[in-house]
Amino acid sequence: MKIAIVGCGQIADAHIQEVQKIPNAVVVGVCDLSIHLARQAALRYQVQGCYTDIKLMLKEVQPDVVHITTPPASHAPLAKIVLSYGSHIYMEKPFTVNLSEAQDIVAMATATGKLICAGHNYMYDPAYLRLLAACREKKLGDIVHLISVMGYNLFGPFGSVSMGDPLHWLHRLPGGLAQNNISHPISLILGLMPGDTIAVSARGYRLRKERFQDIRDNFFDEIRANLSTDSTTAHLVFTSKVRPVQTCVTVYGAQGAACASLDSRTLRYIKGSNLPGPFAKVQWSYLDAKEAVREFMGNVGNMAKARLHYFSGMHELFTQFYAAIEGRQKMPIQMSEALRVTAVMDDIVRECKKNDGEKGRQ
Amino acid sequence: MILVTGGAGFLGKEVVRLLIAKYKRPVRCVVRPGTSDLVFMELFQNKLPEQLTLMQANFNNSEELKKALDGIEMVIHLAASLKGGYPAQVANTVIASENLFKACVDKGIKRFVLCSSFGVMGASSVPRGGLIDESVPMEHHPEWRDPYSFAKHMQEQLAWDYHRKNGLPLVVVRPGVIFGPPLSILSTRIGLEAFGLFLHFGLWNTIPLIYKENCADMLIKAALVPGVEGEIFCAVDDDLPTSSYLLKRYRREVAPKKSVLIPYSILRQLAKLNVWYSRKTNNHLPPVFTPYKVDATWKGHRFSNRKAKEKLGWCPSVSMKEALDITFQFSAK
Repeated sequence: MKIAIVGCGQIADAHIQEVQKIPNAVVVGVCDLSIHLARQAALRYQVQGCYTDIKLMLKEVQPDVVHITTPPASHAPLAKIVLSYGSHIYMEKPFTVNLSEAQDIVAMATATGKLICAGHNYMYDPAYLRLLAACREKKLGDIVHLISVMGYNLFGPFGSVSMGDPLHWLHRLPGGLAQNNISHPISLILGLMPGDTIAVSARGYRLRKERFQDIRDNFFDEIRANLSTDSTTAHLVFTSKVRPVQTCVTVYGAQGAACASLDSRTLRYIKGSNLPGPFAKVQWSYLDAKEAVREFMGNVGNMAKARLHYFSGMHELFTQFYAAIEGRQKMPIQMSEALRVTAVMDDIVRECKKNDGEKGRQ
Repeated sequence: MILVTGGAGFLGKEVVRLLIAKYKRPVRCVVRPGTSDLVFMELFQNKLPEQLTLMQANFNNSEELKKALDGIEMVIHLAASLKGGYPAQVANTVIASENLFKACVDKGIKRFVLCSSFGVMGASSVPRGGLIDESVPMEHHPEWRDPYSFAKHMQEQLAWDYHRKNGLPLVVVRPGVIFGPPLSILSTRIGLEAFGLFLHFGLWNTIPLIYKENCADMLIKAALVPGVEGEIFCAVDDDLPTSSYLLKRYRREVAPKKSVLIPYSILRQLAKLNVWYSRKTNNHLPPVFTPYKVDATWKGHRFSNRKAKEKLGWCPSVSMKEALDITFQFSAK
């Protein structure tokens, strides 16, 4: 399987590293508008093809799959070029800037018989996969409510780069910082929340101090959104203020609850108690502790067996996507799922803008 | 007029201060949008001197760069990224610098001083006890080094390309470990903090220190002294101390520190183990330590500042004793 990368920024490193771990997959070309970024990737990962012109790369290396890891505004135009040259696409999140763009490229992919996989790799994190399996096996009963939390560090490696540059592409996204990230918590919710009619209410906040008196002070650093269908409700939290920074999903079912933490890579069931009065509190906390010990021991074992790779979810998604291209399995994330996530993201961005006012500023 | 990029940084402030206070030169300082004037107010007793002009400019905006270079004769380019992975540092250090190189060539700047780094030199191929000076060739495998050294290597190589092909009047200064308040003296050349312990890698190695004021002075001389275009200068002070001396003094004057001595031979074996484990487990733990990086940083070399003394007439204006006293006293507070 010949793979090409378009966009040699920070996330491209993870893509190349994970592709290089997959047997029979080889990165044959890297491309970036900046020759320096393309060169650094080619040099560090010993990739033969190094380009600044995507069409030339597609013509010369004829990749089976192109990973698009450029800023979101370029996703749709680049996808159209890639599809016209006959390659499949792995699209880094967010899929596109809005639903209309997403519908365009999905229609084009369908017409040309090509596949586009949305980069919702958190859905393939081992902890979330265990949660999905538990829900499919009805261990928690019917799902009543979900909470998906995603933390973000504004002063981390990516946050500090975007905060340091008012011309950074992040500030030109309609939903700013949140739009570049919330497709992850949305995809985690929608993976457990079927249906196309999802009502959305949302509000954005700016809880950081104003520092720059320019566009960098404008974006929302916190989002709270409520999603609902006829049978299930969900709450999404995107936060830059909460510490520790964490990403987790909690499912409340008719017969039980469970929390999957993508940071600790654990799945802990909330088992409750069947004892009366004060005994319930002792039993409840005992069962909580037992869950924690089981997961701790599991992670010690995984550490010893070298199974705690940071991008496990991404690796698994790439592997399954390539298998789907070869016809060995169905698509891991259907293109219709990418449209559903993008539609909800559009609604959240729209709601946040609608509800933005003086109350949202602190 | 002299343009200084990165003037709000640790070394940049010292360059700006010396240019105005000692060399009485008018200075234009390009700062990132959003940088507060307070940084410079503190340098000059809360009043910005008339010789100093601050200009907010984005290096990715060619119009802003051209405007910043109006009336400029010399450039001292210090701005570089210190944080982030390889792509982020390449974007912020290399791409931004190329825009500046182009603008300087277009404007016919008379002198361009690039503040590079010791990290660009192929120190790993210099034998133990060997001399590091301007004759050491550039790193053959920059991709095996850390993101900072990698980006600085690309930046310097690009600067030489502009010198050869476009006539950029380039002078390169490669500082060792720049020190002085408010930075801690315990750089990675001495060791690293891990699991509540200080892992002392430097042992009896000489540490290539240069005090911030002395480094700033060399950069300014590289801009002002005629006839040194196309030259490289290694920037280290006289009377360089050993790692053990610095750690001992830190313990005595700043704070007690539990440390573990890790000699070079053991560190190299640990680095081999790190690489072996990383390969065997598909990068379960990244190869943070590699024998190549260990050789470049902790093998134990000697350092020379002879060329800067001879060709620039530079000599450290602050002695090593005085500089260390100032630094330790600040850290102790």
